[in-house]
Amino acid sequence: MTRRSSWEVSVFLLLLVMAIGLLDYITGIEVSLSVVYAIPVSIAAWYVGALPALGLALLSVIVWIGGDLAAGLHPSSMMVPFFNALVRLVFYAFLTHVLVRLRYLQKNLEELARVRAVALSHEIAERERLEREMLEISEREQRRIGQDLHDSLCQHLTGTAMAGQLLAEKLTRRELPEPREARRVVDLIEEAITLARGMAKGLHPVEMKSDGLMQALEEFCVSTSELFAVDCHFDCQMPVLIESPPIAIHLYRIAQEGVGNAIKHGRPTRIVVQLEEIEEGTQLVISDNGSGLPASAPSGNGMGLRIIADRAKMIGGRFRVDRGRFGGAELSCLIPHRQTDPMKAAE
Amino acid sequence: MMAAAAKAKVFLVDDHPLVREMLKSLIEQQPDMTACGEAEDAAKALKGIAADKPHVAIIDLSLKESSGLELIKQIKHRYPLVSQIVLSMHDEKLYAERAIRAGARGYVMKRESTKQIVAAIRAVRGGKLWLSETVSDAFAQRFVGAQPQAGSSLESLSDRELEVFNLLGQGMQTRQVAQSLNVSIKTVQAYCARIKQKLQLSSATELLREAMRWHESVT
Repeated sequence: MTRRSSWEVSVFLLLLVMAIGLLDYITGIEVSLSVVYAIPVSIAAWYVGALPALGLALLSVIVWIGGDLAAGLHPSSMMVPFFNALVRLVFYAFLTHVLVRLRYLQKNLEELARVRAVALSHEIAERERLEREMLEISEREQRRIGQDLHDSLCQHLTGTAMAGQLLAEKLTRRELPEPREARRVVDLIEEAITLARGMAKGLHPVEMKSDGLMQALEEFCVSTSELFAVDCHFDCQMPVLIESPPIAIHLYRIAQEGVGNAIKHGRPTRIVVQLEEIEEGTQLVISDNGSGLPASAPSGNGMGLRIIADRAKMIGGRFRVDRGRFGGAELSCLIPHRQTDPMKAAE
Repeated sequence: MMAAAAKAKVFLVDDHPLVREMLKSLIEQQPDMTACGEAEDAAKALKGIAADKPHVAIIDLSLKESSGLELIKQIKHRYPLVSQIVLSMHDEKLYAERAIRAGARGYVMKRESTKQIVAAIRAVRGGKLWLSETVSDAFAQRFVGAQPQAGSSLESLSDRELEVFNLLGQGMQTRQVAQSLNVSIKTVQAYCARIKQKLQLSSATELLREAMRWHESVT
């Protein structure tokens, strides 16, 4: 309570005591209003503090006794009203003490709850930050391994395959019977290069250029159609260039996760991955004609959707799950322009 | 015999030593060719080619600290008689066309290089192009179809469409195109749809590639 309002309350309570005293005086000595004085004393104890409450209690006792005496009370001894006043005063003091304690406990509890709430929200923010960092680290590591596979292992295998070819040609020249086997080794090594390239591609799917996402999504839809017997179509009406590699890779992973989810849960025959530029920003939409989202997993539940939502949040995007155009589920992620525009993001 | 004189001199540019070593042995083993020099980066390659005067140069696209495509352009410019073959880990669908436009005469992917590289050297030495069936099919399709040939079939585009096409070719984002023409993104989208239809392009990726190709060819 602020100082000003506690002043106002004090003045109000003083007036209240006076009013009760006046009422007490009018009603005469037969009717005792002594309990009514407990009201302003309680209010003072609760809202203003212990000392003002005690002061008010003293004032109440004086007003009460004074009122009774003025109204014509003739005690047999002056000790009687004095004793009565003392009893009242002790009662008010006790009341004040209890109320002040109660008030103190209540305040403490509120404070405790507030501290806990702050700690909890810090905890949540920290956890989200860690999750984000984990995603970033895993993405970075995947990219690193992918690049190493591509740049180092594949090159080494190429050299090895050439060595095999060399051997095969030498054997042929000497008219020895083994060149067929040597050629088989070359074939196997070339298969290994194809495998390693495939792995590198999976780990590092989006090239670091502004049209890398478009290309990667196009290839992804083609390979999904081949792998899963589903018509996965990439719908991109005009070039969508993304200058920030992290945004491109996260959008790619969102598409990957979204399509994977759709195939796993909705059993669709058709999936459309749409990448477009709209007035608000860059939008990625994945819609299918499957059974839609199960009733038990509304937006935000389920690990897959959570990861998608987290990724969307990380790149400043807005993620939504809806009933789709084709009857199944529809996931959409909108990245506002300021996120994709490095000039404006820096401002 | 004149075999010694007619031997094709081949220069190797690759940043991976094992690949260079094996490629060299493979070439040396052929009766009609010889490896005359090698380099691991663009600067050494240009020096080496000036000194060795090879007939054929084999270039890796990803070199240390420089782009193979840029090197191809420079070699083409300075030594137009050197036939260049790209030997790369990168997918031919994405790079073959750019390499050929930069001045290469052949494209061989490393995963199938072992048997093909020697044949490719012989082919370009004989004045032919060496491309996989997939890539040459795509080239032929483009030639037969109503694709823009450096401005000619772009005549079907309206002024506004050409402007959009040009801006996309400069690497502008759709939103920037919309801003610079002072129209909405939806309008740009409509232009893109019409351009794709007129030039018979199937996707936005193709549209962008075509626009960039055209932009490079006119600048």
